[in-house]
Amino acid sequence: MDFTLDEEQIGLQAAVRDLISAHADLNVVRTVVDDVDPESDGEPPGLWARITEQGWPAVLVPEEHGGLGLGLLEAAVIARCLGAGVVPGPIVAGLLAGEAIRAAGSPEQQATWLPMLAEGRARSTVALLRPGAAWDAPGDGVEAVASAPDDPVGKLTGEIGQVEYAHLADRIVVAAGGTDPDGEPGLWLLDPAGPGVTITRTPTLDATTRTSTLSLIGATAERLPGGDRAVLTGLVSRATVLTANDLIGTAREALTRTVDHLKTREQFGRPIGSFQALKHHLADLLVGLTMAEHAGWYAAHALDAGLPDAPVAVSVAKAKASEVARLATARMIQYHGGIGYTWEHETHLFFKRARRLEQTYGDAAAHFGRIATLTLG
Amino acid sequence: MDLRYTEADEHFRTELRAWLDQSVPAAWRAPGYWSAVPAEEGFERRRAWEADKAAAGFSGIDWPVEFGGRGGTPAQKAIHDEELARIGAPTTVNALGLAFLAPTVMKIGTDEQKRQIIGPLLRNEVIWCQGFSEPDAGSDLAAIRTRGVREGDAYVVNGQKIWTSNALHADRMFALVRTHPGERKHQGLSMLLIDLHSPGVEVRPLRQLSGALDFGEVFLTDVRVPADAVLGTPGEGWAVAMLLLSFERGSSAMGQYTAFRRELDQVIELARRTERGGRPAIEDPSVRQRIAKLHTELELLRLHSLHVLTQVEKGRALGATSSLTKLQWSQTHQDLGDLFTEVAGADHQLTDGTDAAAYGLQRAFLWSRSETIWGGSSEIQRGIVAEQLLGLPR
Repeated sequence: MDFTLDEEQIGLQAAVRDLISAHADLNVVRTVVDDVDPESDGEPPGLWARITEQGWPAVLVPEEHGGLGLGLLEAAVIARCLGAGVVPGPIVAGLLAGEAIRAAGSPEQQATWLPMLAEGRARSTVALLRPGAAWDAPGDGVEAVASAPDDPVGKLTGEIGQVEYAHLADRIVVAAGGTDPDGEPGLWLLDPAGPGVTITRTPTLDATTRTSTLSLIGATAERLPGGDRAVLTGLVSRATVLTANDLIGTAREALTRTVDHLKTREQFGRPIGSFQALKHHLADLLVGLTMAEHAGWYAAHALDAGLPDAPVAVSVAKAKASEVARLATARMIQYHGGIGYTWEHETHLFFKRARRLEQTYGDAAAHFGRIATLTLG
Repeated sequence: MDLRYTEADEHFRTELRAWLDQSVPAAWRAPGYWSAVPAEEGFERRRAWEADKAAAGFSGIDWPVEFGGRGGTPAQKAIHDEELARIGAPTTVNALGLAFLAPTVMKIGTDEQKRQIIGPLLRNEVIWCQGFSEPDAGSDLAAIRTRGVREGDAYVVNGQKIWTSNALHADRMFALVRTHPGERKHQGLSMLLIDLHSPGVEVRPLRQLSGALDFGEVFLTDVRVPADAVLGTPGEGWAVAMLLLSFERGSSAMGQYTAFRRELDQVIELARRTERGGRPAIEDPSVRQRIAKLHTELELLRLHSLHVLTQVEKGRALGATSSLTKLQWSQTHQDLGDLFTEVAGADHQLTDGTDAAAYGLQRAFLWSRSETIWGGSSEIQRGIVAEQLLGLPR
C-alpha cells in the first residue's frame, strides 16, 4: 500500500517549485496582474522558454513523439505548483491540447504537432466547454459541419467564452457538436489565424490569466478523427482533475500564508493566531484541505491506472477542491484584516483565481449532481 | 503510487472472509439487526462470538504472536476492520482494552502483567473499562481528583469516575489516580489496574440520550488496590496515559469508513422507499446533492485511511494526524445521521423498531452525537491540529 508520490514525482515537484520561485515568483506574477494593457500577453516574460527547458510541455507526450511519456499524476504535480504560485500562462491548457492530439489525432497529426508542442515550439490551448454548458456536454454551443462523418476537414460555427490564452495559440483544440442527440461530439484542431475566427479579449477578475471569447463562423478546422464522446469525456475529466489540483495548490498556499500572518500579527498583546476561534476555523480548513489533497492525487492516479471508480474520483476531487479553495481564500482575506482587502496585498490574487477555477469544469454543486447520477442512477 | 494490497495481505482477506462467511449467520447481517437485540443478550452473544474469533486466530491481528496475536501487518489489521464492518459482524465488547490497554502493557508492562492481562483480554475472559473522566475532569484530564493513598502493600483508593463505557460489564478498570504529591496537576498520577469486583467498588449505570445504559459511574470507597497493580512507574501515570492514548495514532479509519459506507447505502435504500415533498426522496434534488456530498466525504475518509496505512507501513510517525482523522470521521458520521433524518422525514422519530433498517440508522444517528465528544472532543482535536500541525501559538 503506497499512497504517496514516488521519488521521481517528488523530484519533479521540487524542480517545478524551484523554477517558479526563480522565474515566476509573486513579484513577477504581480507585473502580469498589474499590466492593464488589454492586448497584453499575460505571461511572465521568458517563463515559457524556462518551462520548456525543464520539459513541462512534454509531460503527457509519448516518448515516441519526443515527450517524457509521463502521466496525469505528473501533470497534476505541475498543476498544483502552478496553483500555489498563482502562475499565469497556458501551461495546463497546452498540456490538454497535446493530450487531445495524442488521444484523438491521426498518426500524421500526432507526428506533426506532438513534437512541436513537447518542445514548446508551438503554443496551444483548448476550448472544450463553454461557460454555462453541462459538464457532460463538451462542444455544446459549437456546430461542426463536414461533407461526411470521416471528412478530415470541417467548418465550425459557434461561440465559446473565456478561452484561456487563445490570443497566443498557434492551434486551439475545439470541441464541437455536443448537444446533437444523433451525432457524436468531436474534437477539432483550429488555426486561429484562419478565416471565420474572431478572438475578442475578455478581461477577468482573475488577472493571473488572459481569456477571450472565441467566435467561429464557418471556420475551417482539421478533425481529430479519434474524437468521440468517450475521448471527449476523458479529456474533460483530465482538464477537471488538473483544475482541481490547481485549486488545491492555491488553497494550501493561502492557508500557509494565513497561518504565517497569524503567528506574527499581534493584537491585544498577543499573536492573533492564539485566539481559539481562528485556530478552530483553520483546523477545520486543514482537515478539508488534507482530504482534498488526497483526492487530487487519487483522481489523477485513477485516470492513469484506469481504475473503475475514476469517473466518481474526478468529481470527488473537483467538488472538494472547489469547496476548500473557496473557504481557504475567503479565510485568507478575513484573517488578514484590512490589509487583506487591498490591491497591494497578494490575497486577492489567490481569492480571484480560486473563484475562477471553482467555476471552471464544474463547481461543487455540478459535481455532486454528477456523483448522484453516477451512483444513484 | 500503488494502492494494491500485497498478495499475502489479500490472502489473509480471503481466509478471514471465508471464516466470517461461515461464522456470521445471515440473520445477523441484516441492517439494524443488532440494534433490535436486547442489550444484555447482545453483549453476551457478541462476547462469545468475539471469543470464537480469537480462538480461530483472527484477533490481535497486528499483535506479536508471543502475546497471542497473529503477528500480522498494519494492512491486515485494516483489512480485518474492513471485512468485519462489511459483513455486519458483531462489534467488540472489549474496545478500550484492545485498543489502548493491551498495546501499552506490551510496551511497558512487567512480564507478569503481560502474562496476566493480554491473553485473557484477547479471549474476552476479562472485560476492561477505562477510568479516566471524572465530574470535574473531562477534557482537562489532569484535573482528576480520585486519590490513592499508599497503606502497606496497597493503595487505598477513594473517588469517582464517570462516563465509564462498559462499566456495567467490566471486570477491571485501568484508571488514572492521584497517588503521589506533585506541584503541578500532571505530576503524581499513577495508572492503577483496579479489580472492579473488590469491596468498595460501586458501579451505577447512566442512561444515555439514546436510552441505552452503555456507560456509568464508578464510585470507589476505600478500595484496596495492590501496590503492584500499577502500569508503568508509580507517580509517572501522566506519561503512561499519554502513551496509552497515542496508540490510536496508528489506526487507519478503514473500519469506520466501511461501516459508514454500509449506512449510507441503507440511507439511499431508505430514500428509494420514502417520500419527501410528496415524491420519492431519492428524486429530491437537495437529497441527491446531500447524498453525493456524503459519498464524497466518505470517499475522502477512505483515501485518508490509505494515507494513514501507508505512513504506518513506512514506519513514519503520524503525530497529530489522528486528530485530523477523528475530525473527518466523526463529523462525517454526524452529517450522515442528519441525512437520515431528512430522508426518513418525520418518521425518523418512530421508536417501535418495525422498520429494522431505519431503526438501526436511528441508533447510529443518536450515537453519532457522542462521537465528537469522547476520545478527545472535536474542540480539543481542533486545538491540537491548530497547534501541532499548523504551529499556531498556544
